Amino acid sequence: MSVLEVRDLSIRFGGLQALQDLNLEVNEYEIVGLIGPNGAGKTTAFNCITGFYKPNTGTVTYRGQDVTKAPPHVKARMGFGRTFQNVGMVKSATALENLKTAQHAKAGYDVGSGLLGTSGSIRAERELTAKADAILDLLGLADIRDRRVGGQSYGTLKLLELGCALATDPDVLLLDEPTSGMGPDESDELGERLLVLRKEFGLTILVIEHHVPLVLRVCDHVYVLNFGRLLAEGKPSFIQTHPEVVAAYLGGEDPEALAATHETEEDAALDAQLEDAVHEPVEAPTRRGRKAAAVVEPEPLEDDVVELSEPAADPIVVGGLADDELPGDDSPTVALSTRRKARTAAEERAERAPVSRPRRTRKKTS
Amino acid sequence: MSVYAPPAEDAAVAPAGRHRVGRSFGPIRWLPRILVLLPFVYWFLYRIPSNEAAAPIAADACIYAIVGLSLNILIGYTGQLSLGHNGFFGIGAFAAAYSLTVRDVPFAATFVVAALCGALFALFMGVVALRITGLYLALITLVFGLTLEESLFEVKFLTNAGAGQPADRPEFLFDDRNFFYFCLCFLLVALYIDYRLLKSKAGRALLALKENERVAEAFGINVTAFKLLAFVLSGTLAGVAGALLAYRIGIVTASGLGFNLALTFVLMTVVGGLGSRLGVVLGASLFASLGFLLESTWVHSVQSFLINVLSFGNETAKTNVESAIVGFIGALGLLLTIVLNPGGIAQQISPITRWLSGKPFSLHGDKEAGPASVEGSSVRA
Amino acid sequence: MDVIAIEFVVPVVSGAVQGCVYGLLGLGLVLLYKSGRIFNFAQAEMGAFAAFMTAFADQGSGFLPDMPVWAAVLFGLVTGVLLGLLVERVVIRPLFNAPKVTVVVATAGVFLFLFAIEGFLNGPGPRSATRIIDGNLLQSGGLRVTKLGGVIVLVLAALAATSALFFSRTRTGTAIIAVSQEPTATRLVGISVERTAAFTWGLAGLLGAIAGILLSGTNGVIAPGLLTGLALVPAFTAAVFGGITALPGAFVGGVVIGVIESFAASNIPKTIIPGSGKVVLFVALLVVLLFRPAGLLGKET
Repeated sequence: MSVLEVRDLSIRFGGLQALQDLNLEVNEYEIVGLIGPNGAGKTTAFNCITGFYKPNTGTVTYRGQDVTKAPPHVKARMGFGRTFQNVGMVKSATALENLKTAQHAKAGYDVGSGLLGTSGSIRAERELTAKADAILDLLGLADIRDRRVGGQSYGTLKLLELGCALATDPDVLLLDEPTSGMGPDESDELGERLLVLRKEFGLTILVIEHHVPLVLRVCDHVYVLNFGRLLAEGKPSFIQTHPEVVAAYLGGEDPEALAATHETEEDAALDAQLEDAVHEPVEAPTRRGRKAAAVVEPEPLEDDVVELSEPAADPIVVGGLADDELPGDDSPTVALSTRRKARTAAEERAERAPVSRPRRTRKKTS
Repeated sequence: MSVYAPPAEDAAVAPAGRHRVGRSFGPIRWLPRILVLLPFVYWFLYRIPSNEAAAPIAADACIYAIVGLSLNILIGYTGQLSLGHNGFFGIGAFAAAYSLTVRDVPFAATFVVAALCGALFALFMGVVALRITGLYLALITLVFGLTLEESLFEVKFLTNAGAGQPADRPEFLFDDRNFFYFCLCFLLVALYIDYRLLKSKAGRALLALKENERVAEAFGINVTAFKLLAFVLSGTLAGVAGALLAYRIGIVTASGLGFNLALTFVLMTVVGGLGSRLGVVLGASLFASLGFLLESTWVHSVQSFLINVLSFGNETAKTNVESAIVGFIGALGLLLTIVLNPGGIAQQISPITRWLSGKPFSLHGDKEAGPASVEGSSVRA
Repeated sequence: MDVIAIEFVVPVVSGAVQGCVYGLLGLGLVLLYKSGRIFNFAQAEMGAFAAFMTAFADQGSGFLPDMPVWAAVLFGLVTGVLLGLLVERVVIRPLFNAPKVTVVVATAGVFLFLFAIEGFLNGPGPRSATRIIDGNLLQSGGLRVTKLGGVIVLVLAALAATSALFFSRTRTGTAIIAVSQEPTATRLVGISVERTAAFTWGLAGLLGAIAGILLSGTNGVIAPGLLTGLALVPAFTAAVFGGITALPGAFVGGVVIGVIESFAASNIPKTIIPGSGKVVLFVALLVVLLFRPAGLLGKET
């Protein structure tokens, strides 16, 4: 069963169709990228999924449950952790206070006993502080613990915001441009971090990201939005060479990629498949199986994707940290997520080779 | 599964760079602080209430301080400007007096009635505040207070047909000093609730929703519920304070529960320092006792000097100035506070309070930490 | 006139005239809200201060020489403008970056300060106010419209129309709007934010002075805080009712509020709901804010 499923989601602001029939699906333990040019509707999609906007049509399903109309705070309690494009934190509070605020729903006591100061609530508060400290250590932010968030650099804020999202004890993490404000090295480091965090917290992640190397490095699956519509979906390496995507999104920035798409025979085959997909969308082998403009997962590319799980083989990642260097690994005694479960054999398999997951044979769950 | 590391009790566990305030000093470091505080405690808890003229004023100070804390919950923590607190306060006063005198409700229970009435009206205002925000909320609360003053507080059965509703204290509170201690107990409870509020998730939720409702929602905070909670809590405190005022004066009338009172409440909270518990209590005490201080203490000589200067020795002018000097000083204090010193009294005394709380003395306030100050109260139009 | 006509016509006409009084005060409130998103709780008292000055000058009491009425009124208007400039310079400008709530509390402080100063100058009691014109325009049955009432209606209509034109047609007017919406960008194109704000407050002081002098005239007496108590809240309600960003809205809103209030006060006996005028005002304000926050003439933003 998919963790998160969005079907036929549309929303209109006045005359602007911000999203049109968006379909996407995020499976257990995946990192799914959502990319597209500015104004493509990525953040709008996030806002619809997390309940900040009410879509005009379409449904959002979380673990088989229709949550389209649930308000944001209810979704946060269910396990939707999110970050914002422009840093969503309480700026006048300290880093520690923010992390404790973020644990609101999982504080372990009710408002009344908090006001009365029962011993249970005081003990729970102590645990909140411990968990906040653990997250600060995990992200290497211990030295800004008691500093006001407002004065920190943008990159630090983004990282701390990620920490706050983690503190909400999420099941699905929705990250809106987590690397904005970071340099390339920091961004690559963040990519490694996401992989570690996924492992550490047992997370499923949906991420809006502009930093292409990061997307290629960490994402199991990528959706491309353009003008509020799904332009393409597939493995990162496939998306990277997808002509329409390249034209819409990478085109201006990376002319070589554009040229490359027409040089290999594989790409010619891909183009042919794409044509088919466009003309016969119902039969195209897609995740949702309908209404995406161009959705293909070509066989020839799967070998490339396998390489993604081996960092050394990926030429794009430059400044990534090896897993054992990450600060998170030295605090294994603090259990940070109540949702982290004994991983199933399927998840272990998925971790080893994301591509081997039987995506296309899955039937609709509705 | 959830095996959290216990909070770092010994310094060895605490990671480097974390601000752990010197535990190494031990109990010795509290000694000078306690010595400094003792005379104040003696003065405020014994000398002032023992003075016959000052005891009622001290009780007033406690009552105003409770209102200040109540208002601080709304303005300081939640970012909702209420200019109608005279309404909640007055409802509490009338409810207590009416239930005691007309309905023969036991004395202790009248406080529950007053608290409930204050909470109920505040809940109504809270529901309004869900839709109407910012300056419009300020306006509607103002009109709310005025409307109550002119309509509900004039209703015959409440006001004893306009003569005012009597509210007699029980025997053990006849003595003004005892009544002061009685009010002080309520203030201490209010202070405890306020302290617990900020220390627990409810306070954090309010501060978060004040600054950014979307972020608060993303953190799983039910913004609607917590806004209402803030109003209810605030209304409860204001209602109880109103009941105390009813017993303090002994008779409740609509006059004195109007626009100027609402403004005074806001002024004392802002001058005290929004978001600061101690500052609000000091500001409220100051405003409650301003008239008394100006008339009956050594300040009087300063005041008569001021009056002579301002009236150029002219006799008619002198009586005019005398009648308005308290308001003048209050207004001037407010304007100076807002323009020059937005953190209020709390900011001025922050070096002292920081030292008293066990930190090393420094003239520069702690800009990094602490609850939100005035700058955080982001109410948008 | 038959009874029904009296029951309808009297409250409507007197309410409309009274509503114009609210609208006049509301005009200044709209101006300050439109230009700087400020609710000026001192607006009525600024007007009252100017009215006091007029009365002092007119009656020659205290420290001012006895002046003819026109000079006294001129003196009052000038005081109003100067007061507006002073408030802007001393209180509002230092709070340029402060939250709006702080600014609003500061204007309440200005109200209290003026209240105290008026107390210094006049004492707490009432003083007879200057009437620029005496006599009745219309008197029949229970209906009475004073000439001053007529002047108020004309002045309000004229001011609402000119100020609306001022904002849409003149350079200064558009500059004020620009400053309110994008202070930084406006500064970049060479408009002085400070000078614009000073101008606005001077203008608001003038409008307040006009309102204060006319209002205290209809009221007969003036006392510290009296004008604020009588007219500030209805004026705010009128401004919000008409659409707080629309200058003619103050006119329309004022008349509507005046009529509603006078109907409520004359038709709901005090024994059932005391202060029915205020209750109706509260309900009207609540309904408008809940269901049409932009007011009657305002634009939805």
